[in-house]
Amino acid sequence: MKLIYRITLRLSLVLLPLLVLWAVLFYFRMVNEINDETDDALDNYSELIIVRILAGRELPLPNNGSNNNYSVTLVDEAYAASHPHIDYYDAEVYIPEKEETEPARILTTIFQDDRGQYYELKVATPTFEKDDLIHSILLWIVILYCTLLVTILGVTVWVFHRNMRPLYALLHWLDSYIPGQKSVLPPDDTNITEFRRLNAAARQAVNRSEELFEQQKQFIGNASHELQTPLAILGNRIEWLLDNTDPSEIQTGELLKIQRTLGDIVRLNKTLLLLTKIENGQFPESTDVEISAMIREQAETYAEIYAHRHIECIQNKTEPLTVQMNRSLASTLVSNLLKNAYIHTQEGGRIEIELRDRTWTMANSGKEPLDGQRIFERFYQGHKKEGSTGLGLSLVQAVGKYYGLRIEYHFSAGMHRFSVTWP
Amino acid sequence: MKILIVEDEPSLREIMQRALVQERYVVETAATFTEADIKISGYSYDCILLDIMLPDGNGLKLLERLKELHKRENVIIISARDSIEDKVLGLEQGADDYLPKPFHTAELLARIRSVLRRGRSGGERALTLGNVSLEPDNGRVTVAGKELPLLKKEFDILLYFMQRPNHLVDKSVLAEAVWGDHADQADNFQFVYAQMKNLRHKLTEAGASLEIKAVYGFGYKLIPPVEEA
Repeated sequence: MKLIYRITLRLSLVLLPLLVLWAVLFYFRMVNEINDETDDALDNYSELIIVRILAGRELPLPNNGSNNNYSVTLVDEAYAASHPHIDYYDAEVYIPEKEETEPARILTTIFQDDRGQYYELKVATPTFEKDDLIHSILLWIVILYCTLLVTILGVTVWVFHRNMRPLYALLHWLDSYIPGQKSVLPPDDTNITEFRRLNAAARQAVNRSEELFEQQKQFIGNASHELQTPLAILGNRIEWLLDNTDPSEIQTGELLKIQRTLGDIVRLNKTLLLLTKIENGQFPESTDVEISAMIREQAETYAEIYAHRHIECIQNKTEPLTVQMNRSLASTLVSNLLKNAYIHTQEGGRIEIELRDRTWTMANSGKEPLDGQRIFERFYQGHKKEGSTGLGLSLVQAVGKYYGLRIEYHFSAGMHRFSVTWP
Repeated sequence: MKILIVEDEPSLREIMQRALVQERYVVETAATFTEADIKISGYSYDCILLDIMLPDGNGLKLLERLKELHKRENVIIISARDSIEDKVLGLEQGADDYLPKPFHTAELLARIRSVLRRGRSGGERALTLGNVSLEPDNGRVTVAGKELPLLKKEFDILLYFMQRPNHLVDKSVLAEAVWGDHADQADNFQFVYAQMKNLRHKLTEAGASLEIKAVYGFGYKLIPPVEEA
């Protein structure tokens, strides 16, 4: 979820109960205020009537067009004692002129004249309809809520985007960052402390990771170089034993096995060095390489080497293709994909080679799809094969990356399909 | 034949020396650049095996020193850095060959012989063992004066063995030497056997006095005629 969405959502959520609370308080405050005013008016009115009754003067008409009305009833002493002498309340009253009931505010006053007679005066004035008020307040609250929300959110988004620009610049930079490639440094064009610190941290992290990356590359290269001499010594000592001590058959067999294993290490070491060199871009000189011919020739060699497996190799739709590449890297690419196919095809299996539209497809029969994400990783091997370095496809990928080729794997119709596309 | 080994790693120096002495070369060694510099100033060698990564200097500098001294020794660079730049630079500076570590003793001996042969006659002279003669440059093989037609792979195999007489060559090593990296993960060496069978058959037919013998089914060894061994 984007930060701005989260902020928007939170703001909306916080605003909702806040405005509801405000609406409720507003409503009660309002009702109170109106009742207060009404009660004052009723007070005055009933006072006027009471004064007139006590003075024996003419009373106002029960209905004088103001919708105020009153009634005076005689009550006995017991009633007066059991009821409060002044009482305000809301009730529905029937208005004969309108022939309907309306909400009204009523004041009853029980008073006594000089003869000791109790009267009950009921003064009523129609008030507002509370439902209407609630509806109207609700409507306006909703309108207020929406307006406030839109305004607040609009302002927030605008402020957010204006102020967060350095953050987005940094994020954009992070997206485009690839370790090991001398890319541009993170942006540094803000004077806001937090962002300056963030940028500084990013710069530090990048420098550190570049350093580590470089160190790691160098380490692999150096380690491989350092291994060459001891490997030479071991190999030469085995050869010396073989040629000079007249070993028995068993001894010869063992020595040769040691020599072969040593050969595997030597090959692994060489491959690691080659990978390091490719990654360091140490193959600058490119020439025209006829890929189609290279594939054909190497396929023949592999067919000879793996003849005992009876693998059927079909070369169909092979268009001529010449590309600009370093010859030895082109050979590495072609050789490793072909070798990979031959090594991993079962006896009696099938290999199909196709080259058209600048795409070379290598298909070989297999049982189940491989983990397309991981097969290009160094030392990833689905099924461990003795003598295999586990680096063949990594080499293919390294060469591909070096020349910007698209290398893909997928499995269909019982065939592993590797494809290389030249741009 | 006098050879100088310039190598800082004692164990490798020792085993190289041992192998060369066995081949009846006169061998001297130097462990550092300074030591090597003193030796080349004072003595002459037929061939110098030069490790270029020395503790006290780059071996390539020694090539410059040789030029300054107007010496024309054969130099084979031995380097742990199998890099094209080093190779090109070394060969430009007057080295005769470049051998990346790790190497087989037999390979080293073959390179020394090849360099020495070239040194004497300009182009690479024919290799001769018994009545078999092989010209590496134009791919011709003669047995007792008669030309023996060989296929490319058969020729490569014969050349490989003639450069390494009496040396047991493992099938896998031979496969890699002749078929290249393509064969490095082969699990069956039928293809080597097939070529070998044809080559041996052709050699016997032509009456060659040398023999490529199978050794316990592991590999092969070229046995030169008795009078030369």
